[in-house]
Amino acid sequence: MQTALSVLVDSMLITFVFALAALGLAIIFGLMGVINMGHGAMLTLGAYFTWFATTKGVPFVAAVLLAAAGVGLIGLLLEHFIIRHFYDRPFETLLLTWGFFLISTELIKIAFGTDLRTVTNPLPGAAHFGSFVLPAYQSVVALISLALIVGLGVMLYRTGLGIKIRALVQNAEVASLLGLNVARAYKLVFVAGSAAAGLAGALISPMLSVDPYIGNIFLVRSFFVVIVGGIGQVLGGTLVGSFLIGGSETFFALFSGQVVAQTIVFMLAILVLRFRPAGVLRAQ
Amino acid sequence: MKYPPALSRLSFSWYSENAVATVIFAVLALLPAFLSGYVIYIVPQYLLYGVLAMSLALLWGVAGILSFGQAAFFALGAYAMGLAPHWTSSVDPFYLALLVSLLIGAVLAGVVGYFLFSAGVRDVYFVLVTLALSIMTEQITVSQSDITGGYNGMFIPRAQLSFGGVSLDLSADVPMYYTILPIVIGIYVLLRLVVASRFGKVLVGIRENEDRVLSLGFRTSLYKTAAFALSGAVAGLAGALYGTHASFVSPSLAGVLFSTQVVVWVAIGGRESLLGALLGAVGVAALSNYLTAITPEYWQLVVGIVFVIVIMAFRGGVAGALIRLGSRPPMEPERG
Amino acid sequence: MAELLRTEGLSKRFRGLVANDAIDFTLQEGEVRCVIGPNGAGKTTFISMVSGHLSPSSGRIVFRGRDVTHTSVPARAQMGIARKFQTPSVFDRLSVYANLELASFGKPASAAERERRIAEALELTRLVELRALPASALSHGQRQWLEVGMLLANRAELLLLDEPTAGMTAEETRATGELIRTLADTHRLSVIIIEHDIAFIRELKAPVTVLHLGRVLMTGPFEAVAQDERVRSVYLGKE
Repeated sequence: MQTALSVLVDSMLITFVFALAALGLAIIFGLMGVINMGHGAMLTLGAYFTWFATTKGVPFVAAVLLAAAGVGLIGLLLEHFIIRHFYDRPFETLLLTWGFFLISTELIKIAFGTDLRTVTNPLPGAAHFGSFVLPAYQSVVALISLALIVGLGVMLYRTGLGIKIRALVQNAEVASLLGLNVARAYKLVFVAGSAAAGLAGALISPMLSVDPYIGNIFLVRSFFVVIVGGIGQVLGGTLVGSFLIGGSETFFALFSGQVVAQTIVFMLAILVLRFRPAGVLRAQ
Repeated sequence: MKYPPALSRLSFSWYSENAVATVIFAVLALLPAFLSGYVIYIVPQYLLYGVLAMSLALLWGVAGILSFGQAAFFALGAYAMGLAPHWTSSVDPFYLALLVSLLIGAVLAGVVGYFLFSAGVRDVYFVLVTLALSIMTEQITVSQSDITGGYNGMFIPRAQLSFGGVSLDLSADVPMYYTILPIVIGIYVLLRLVVASRFGKVLVGIRENEDRVLSLGFRTSLYKTAAFALSGAVAGLAGALYGTHASFVSPSLAGVLFSTQVVVWVAIGGRESLLGALLGAVGVAALSNYLTAITPEYWQLVVGIVFVIVIMAFRGGVAGALIRLGSRPPMEPERG
Repeated sequence: MAELLRTEGLSKRFRGLVANDAIDFTLQEGEVRCVIGPNGAGKTTFISMVSGHLSPSSGRIVFRGRDVTHTSVPARAQMGIARKFQTPSVFDRLSVYANLELASFGKPASAAERERRIAEALELTRLVELRALPASALSHGQRQWLEVGMLLANRAELLLLDEPTAGMTAEETRATGELIRTLADTHRLSVIIIEHDIAFIRELKAPVTVLHLGRVLMTGPFEAVAQDERVRSVYLGKE
């Protein structure tokens, strides 16, 4: 009984980490349909900025915010100088954001070296309930992740700006006729997605060793989270997708190695892509 | 009334590509007469990267299907070469490995391709699945360490071939060179013929306008599946030869980084020209090898920047830019 | 004359909207038929169901006596049902000749037979001298013709032309009318044309089917249709 409970809790924690990691992609790819292959690199940058700031004595919370702002700024530059010229060419966007990954990875290696870096866990404690343990930091990150997703949902469905952005997603032409500055809205969304990715990388950094390819672990998973949950379903889709991807990975890892579990989950995600291309939440 | 088939506007490049290819292959054939040592050892490896690049150019440049998973087939081919001696005692494992690598590439790509294309999975989603294919292959080769040696990789003895009474020791560089070069030339010629065939023309049509091709009565999912299977077979074969040449294979050969390296070679060399892709791989790999020794930090950065510039400004890569420089201004319509 | 195409109770609903409502339609071999109707009448929906690009919500499509309601797009093309899209759908970066050659591969034929088809298509569409140019270099009207030429090279038997004269000059429109007449009269092709250009339809001297709100309002010769009170009220909006 307790094992089942602890698996459930583990799955929930993993779900929220995956959801957090996928959030930036859910905004940029899920909402706007822009293929951001640089998403993993943005997570990595967030993690490195956090590591760098904390080693310079910046408090952890401030370092996380700095990392989010820094990656948001990089997203702004990327969008302004490159991506915005290619919104109507998805293949080029895909390749250019991959190019961003290549360049950013090399710059990280040059600036920060290739050694594994560790960010000190700011909340090392844990709550014990009988035999199972609820690590404090992971729990706080899960709550932040949930709050961000709900906050984003409220923003999209309850505010004027959110309604405009949803109109833009439905039909850019009509949105521009309604007086929405389409170029600015795209820029805003891209920067928001980048900052979310930076924030995610920052918050995840104390849980893993930071290396120049740390974001890659989450790149394909995040895409699958968004696709399995359903493109454009920022609120429910990201949570459901994360739960299916993260939860089933935890579940399968009980019976086999971590590696086999991830392979099975990838295969399941490919099956979903094949048979329910609109995602599990949407009727066909 | 019958008209001669009109030359396409790009016809100039077809003839010049033949000429350039002939010169390059002739130079390569004569190279061991003038050079020896490391160059003769390493050139076949670059050429095999070139074959891997051509397998992608067929798919991406000709049919418009981008794959981030070519390295998976390449790595599986190399593992086949390493494992073949365990499978047989009666047949020469080298030939068995070549056959198996072709089949693994063709069957895996064919099954995955049909599974996805028949449901209309295309473009970005196909890229993601192929990327996942690479990651899965890498992870499986890591996890099955009893068979593959896991992270540490696997050593592969270089083959000893015998044709009738003549035996060929591939552990020496020159016999290896003259074994691999004709295969590379053969694959290049074969792929050129494929591109020029009816099948190749339909693939070009799919790249340009898939719905139109479908509405003309072609089951495009079958053509795309066949293209992916051929591409997988070529990548697998190149991997098997790479395995025996490098005498070593490790999971990183299937990894995301190597897989996308192939995309970078092809983009820079020129995706719509098989020769461009081949030379792109040889050129970038050779420069990487050379410059990594001098300036390891900045070389990969330069590759990344060149890649972005090529995607932004030169759709055809270096080959495309040269063709545009070399071709005449648009022809007047011919009088029929 | 034998019946080529028949639809029975063909309907298409998009969520709540009924785009086609129980359309019964027959076309004889070698017949040219214009389908007209105000915007939203369901014309493109109708030919999309005939070509297989949309599947009907209910009803049946019979081509040469065979039920093709659930046959795929390429299989229908193999049977000879060919579609010209509203905006020209050609291979822009390929030459005119390569466009036609690719279309000619659609059905098995000897090289000589294909050459003959391509030459004929070039001739009929007045593209002989432009055959080496990429399709992107053609005028809008020439691209429309090229697409029709591709259907010929593809050995189509039933042409579904969605606004073939859209964006054409008056002279090009007139030539298109001649082309369609030639295809029907000397090449025995059957044609369904969606059109808005009344002058063009009158010149074509073909029977007209009027669609309105997804239903067949009437079918008859141009003169009869033009004088019909219901048709006039539909077009002038006096219902």
